[in-house]
Amino acid sequence: MRAVVLLSAGRHPLSARPAPVPVEMQAIALARGLGADVAGLHAGAPDLAVREALGQGMDRVTVLRIGEADDAVAALAAALAADPPDLVLAGNRGRGGEDSGLLPYLLAEALGWPIAANAVALAAAAEGLAVIQARARGARWRLVVAPPAVVTVHPAAPPALPFAYARARRGRIEEQEGRSAPLVPRVAEERPYRPRPRVIGVAGGGSAAERLRAATEVAGGGRVLVDPPPEEAARELLAWLRALGFSRSADE
Amino acid sequence: MGPAGAFVLLAWILLASVLVAGARLVLRWRRGRAARVDWWAGLVALPRRYLVDVHGVVARDPRAARMHALTAGGLLGSSGLLLLGVVPALRAGVVYWVLVATSFAVALAGSAMVARRRRPVRPAHLSAGGFLWLPVWVFLYAAGGLAGAGAIVLTASPGLGFAAVVLAAVGGAGLVSGLLTGPIRHALAGAVHLVAHPRPGRFAGRRESALLPLDLEAARLGVAVAEDFAWNRLVGFDACIQCGRCELACPAFAAGQRLNPKKLIQDLAAASLPPGARPAYEGSPHPGAPPPPLAAGPIVGAVLHPDTLWACTTCRACVAACPMFIEHVDAVVDLRRHASLEEGALPEKAAAVLEAIRHTDEPEGNPLAARGDFAAGLELPVLGAGESTDVLLWLGAGAFDLRYGRSLRALVTLLRRAGVAFAVLGAEERDCGDLARRLGDEVEFARLARANIAALNARRFARIVTADPHALHVLRNEYPDFGGCYTVVHHSALLESLLAEGRLTPERRLAGRIVYHDPCYLARYNGETGAPRRLLDRIAPERVEMARHGLSAMCCGGGGGAPVSDVEAVRRIPDLRMAQAREVGAQTLAVACPGCTAMLEGVPEPRPPVRDLAELVLEAVGEG
Repeated sequence: MRAVVLLSAGRHPLSARPAPVPVEMQAIALARGLGADVAGLHAGAPDLAVREALGQGMDRVTVLRIGEADDAVAALAAALAADPPDLVLAGNRGRGGEDSGLLPYLLAEALGWPIAANAVALAAAAEGLAVIQARARGARWRLVVAPPAVVTVHPAAPPALPFAYARARRGRIEEQEGRSAPLVPRVAEERPYRPRPRVIGVAGGGSAAERLRAATEVAGGGRVLVDPPPEEAARELLAWLRALGFSRSADE
Repeated sequence: MGPAGAFVLLAWILLASVLVAGARLVLRWRRGRAARVDWWAGLVALPRRYLVDVHGVVARDPRAARMHALTAGGLLGSSGLLLLGVVPALRAGVVYWVLVATSFAVALAGSAMVARRRRPVRPAHLSAGGFLWLPVWVFLYAAGGLAGAGAIVLTASPGLGFAAVVLAAVGGAGLVSGLLTGPIRHALAGAVHLVAHPRPGRFAGRRESALLPLDLEAARLGVAVAEDFAWNRLVGFDACIQCGRCELACPAFAAGQRLNPKKLIQDLAAASLPPGARPAYEGSPHPGAPPPPLAAGPIVGAVLHPDTLWACTTCRACVAACPMFIEHVDAVVDLRRHASLEEGALPEKAAAVLEAIRHTDEPEGNPLAARGDFAAGLELPVLGAGESTDVLLWLGAGAFDLRYGRSLRALVTLLRRAGVAFAVLGAEERDCGDLARRLGDEVEFARLARANIAALNARRFARIVTADPHALHVLRNEYPDFGGCYTVVHHSALLESLLAEGRLTPERRLAGRIVYHDPCYLARYNGETGAPRRLLDRIAPERVEMARHGLSAMCCGGGGGAPVSDVEAVRRIPDLRMAQAREVGAQTLAVACPGCTAMLEGVPEPRPPVRDLAELVLEAVGEG
């Protein structure tokens, strides 16, 4: 299996010096754990942070040289499409400043590949690649994606391989001209952040702890049904909506 | 040929076997890396190094010194005389044989002392095995020699003389058989070691303690297998006589961590031999370490448990105690350099510290600009590039510690009070690199050293003053290799001189019994034991010493990255040290290092309060 780990020009949050993005280093460790042939890919100017990634389990990195104003997604997609690996791993968010975490999605869209987000573990499965996905409050989902695919890695993944200076020194950085395409501002609506409205389950009454939980937690509750028959699932959903007052039964 | 001729022949046969064994040892050592050795200077210095430097350390235990003088003197003297007997005229005289008999008698007395050393009960720090046979061989050789020489002097029957030669031959064979792997190997290796010592600056009362820079361009960094050591380091390992003084001095061993410096040196000596040929070791083990696989390959793993490597506090107590001037700490750092730079195989927290240093120039990832925050309200003057001052105050990593900030505040207050013109580097002060270097990360150390030296060289000052002995050692002794030569003064020396000059006047004497704990990096690394004591004597009437003080002080456990390596232990090193302070009835434990402060104050109460010298002086001078 061939895996490509996307490396970004990370900056240390305190010193603002070039530093690899921890979650990308964890991605290298995940790819290594799969027994994959791992290579790094970076679009932009050659960066010290990329050099340091070589000390953490990577033998070679390809740097696609593009200009400041060029679109990294276009360069990455062109390089990956020219020589498609089985798996593209990325951190779920960079650490260079204004990182949105959007690049892996744009890349998957450009390549037409599936994307699985926030992986904490990877394993080969019969149908493709099994991805254990981190969900809120420690929940884990198991997804299966068919290669080639883009997978982003979550900080809860196992720790990165230790840094060794001599390995970074031995690692190879291959520079090549990246596809240069000007960054087109993506059309997106900008509006001030507003928290999404939440349903407060227990408006009044209940113990203080219950009211606090109701006021602070994302609406939870209900019962967890694992692989229920569709009828039972529907009944459960209706009962839940009714309890919240969102739905009236037909006979009301 | 009569018994006299037979004796001389025996001596020459023994010499031939020594030369053969020596040649085989040389072949073994030649597998090590090349090293620059000033042979001529070493050979000239050998008698002095052996008779003054080595004997000086041995004589800390007078009985051992007598034992060694008798045994070594008797064996070398009698054998040398016998070799001279190749001149027929010489061996025809009675005086010659009287001299031979006398020197054999001296060796005989030595053999008795060697035997007594392990009787009736063998002390734990001494090895058994071949060492139990050593007095037997010396006894047979000396007794045979004495009887034979006596028989010749008294012109007894030749049969008696020949019987004596046979006895001496058995003893001599026993001794020679140990030249390759046995105890007596230390004599041959020791002589070469003293001539070709990797640190000639350790002899004649000098104290060379700076780590040697690593060639970062080398194909392989640090030491993985025995052949990676310079050849004269391999000689040093073979020079060990397993006297166990390092074991008695080692804080990690005392705490039950997996490090016994004596076993470490034996392990390193054995690592250069194929697994089957390694001599048995019968002394104390690395406490609690599982037996390593009997394998060839990298030293860590095949011979040593990784914990052994990281348990070392680099306190140099073993090095200072070693009569053979073996360099344990250099060996540990060489192995750590490989683990750190080539393998990245560090204890988890140590790796985190090195990562923080890599990205923020500070072991705990603190912002450099916050180093002066401890002095809020005191307004530390920051020395800009091109500006000048008298004293540059190096704050060190302790400045980020809330507790140690109190000590530094006291120091700053005292400097103000005494009218000392001083300033700090502000955000231009990076970590001095001590921690990175002891953990084996020479790359980061070199980078920090160059950055700090650039900052220092852009400013003018008469001297650097620091309260951190680790920073002191690095700035004073290790930066010169990177082009930074400064006068560095410890705050204890500065405060002492301010008191002596009357620029600070104690208003009152401190009550209670004060015990001073020497920081390793001030005492053993830099030989500064006087100023802190003179300082305390000026402000406190009642100062007592612990049994281990000065150059033989015990480490607090805080050096060499040991706190971040966090190796499993049975006891805590600072607890052991605090117990020693309690033993002499300490009511205040005076310290002079941020590491010691943190380690010793971590000992659970009830315990005497731990106070830095600066705090004690401020109390004596008065807060107002």
